[in-house]
Amino acid sequence: MVYSTENTLLYVNDLSVAYDDKIVIKDINFVEKDVVRENNVTGQVIAFVGRSGRGKSTLFRAMTGLIKPTTGKILIANTDTDSENDAKEVREGDIGFVDQKYTLFRNKTVYQALQFALRKKDLPKEEKHSLIMSYLVDWGLEKAKDQYPNELSGGQRQRTAIIEQILCSGHYMVLDEPFSGLDVGNIEDVKKAFNLITTTHEFNTIIYSTHDIELAVELADSIYVIGYPTIDGKRANYGTIVKHIDMKELNLAWKDFGLDHIEVVKQIKTTMLNS
Amino acid sequence: MKHLFNPFEKISKNSRLLIVFVWVVIMLTFWFISSMGERHLFPSPNQVLTGFIELYNEGLVVHIGSSLLLCLKAIIIAVVISLTITYLSTIPVLTPIAKTLSKLRYLPLTGISFYLAIIISDARTMQVWVLVVFMSTYLTTSLLSMISSISQEEFDHARSLRCSRWEVLWEVVIKGRIDHVIEVIRQNLAIVWMMLVTVESILVAAGGLGFLIKNSDKFMNHGRIIALQIVILLVGLSIDFVLDYLRKAFFRYSKI
Repeated sequence: MVYSTENTLLYVNDLSVAYDDKIVIKDINFVEKDVVRENNVTGQVIAFVGRSGRGKSTLFRAMTGLIKPTTGKILIANTDTDSENDAKEVREGDIGFVDQKYTLFRNKTVYQALQFALRKKDLPKEEKHSLIMSYLVDWGLEKAKDQYPNELSGGQRQRTAIIEQILCSGHYMVLDEPFSGLDVGNIEDVKKAFNLITTTHEFNTIIYSTHDIELAVELADSIYVIGYPTIDGKRANYGTIVKHIDMKELNLAWKDFGLDHIEVVKQIKTTMLNS
Repeated sequence: MKHLFNPFEKISKNSRLLIVFVWVVIMLTFWFISSMGERHLFPSPNQVLTGFIELYNEGLVVHIGSSLLLCLKAIIIAVVISLTITYLSTIPVLTPIAKTLSKLRYLPLTGISFYLAIIISDARTMQVWVLVVFMSTYLTTSLLSMISSISQEEFDHARSLRCSRWEVLWEVVIKGRIDHVIEVIRQNLAIVWMMLVTVESILVAAGGLGFLIKNSDKFMNHGRIIALQIVILLVGLSIDFVLDYLRKAFFRYSKI
């Protein structure tokens, strides 16, 4: 599949996070660029996989500005300016964050929650209303508009949490284990949501973690394996990137799941077991 | 029928009503039987009814009103104090104030009332403040536990939507937990209602149910004492019911 890469969208350099003396993640370095395909709006889908306790959630909290890195920096493209490749350091709220429980404000209806997400956008009230309504229609939530989170189904909660972040933050969204505990129907819903996000804008970038390696290989165009590195024959006890698989380079991105994908799944599983 | 004696057995609504009815009948029968004869611990239903009529004629409704007013005043002041201290406890430098107030619940009431008596001369104001001090310690304890039970995900969610720390406090803790505050008040009300009657009977001021109990106690009028106990219980239960109803009616999302 023909593609090219342009502006840098995400730049993580020498990132480490420690709580007191305990280092959770260290030496995290990666760069993600805008993927461009002819006649196609293509957002980026980046998956992080790794065994439990390797620091995926900590990395996500750092990437979304919810915790301060101990060292290193995280830069994202500054799309507010006209100049290309203008970058800014990530702050709280720049990158949307959806946790695995799909947390929402318990005292706000779906409509109120989306209205709140838009509160800082400089738009007239009517425009905000029509924007919210168009999202509700596109994502099949118009009937649940006036319902509170405890009255929503799991799928409706997911969609609301995702739209909230789309409306509030820019082009980036981090989802911590969006597929955990979902049934087949809900998994399809999340896949559709991914598709909707990535086909809306070139810069839209989804970063997610999963324990389902098949889903990572099927959906992502870039996969990072987080694990404990082996240094001088000894396994360290902090998480870092132990493998990167660029599905685009392997010519496996944006394709139906096939035998070649299964081979990648095997490779990832082996790496995970050794880290 | 046998299944009604099995632990964890699910029973129908009708069976539940029947069980309650049978227990009420047993209790009333026990009351009638135990209050018959020359010597008995509890007054007979007839004595209680007479006691109730006497109390009504002596202005029971006014006394209930007086107790309720005292309760309302104390609750409003205590809730304002406890909420302010609890919400501010999220600021690290002010956390010790809330934690200390919570610990003060182990102080005996007599000690508190001794110092309050030095400051306050009016008996009614004294009643209010004894209750306020007492209530605030319990309310603060429950409210602190309400805040600590809010999950990290809820705070992260608000922060990811570009909420400043003050907005997080407003949206997640203050607005997001109003229904919990009502529930906390409701749960602490039983202790306060019990204390209110005690406080009214120790510090005689503007009447009230505690004052009536004290008077009846003096003359060993058992019928009146039990009649008053029943009234106090029923008023307390009614307040509990009203608060629970208000929480459910005004906060549709509240499932506590």
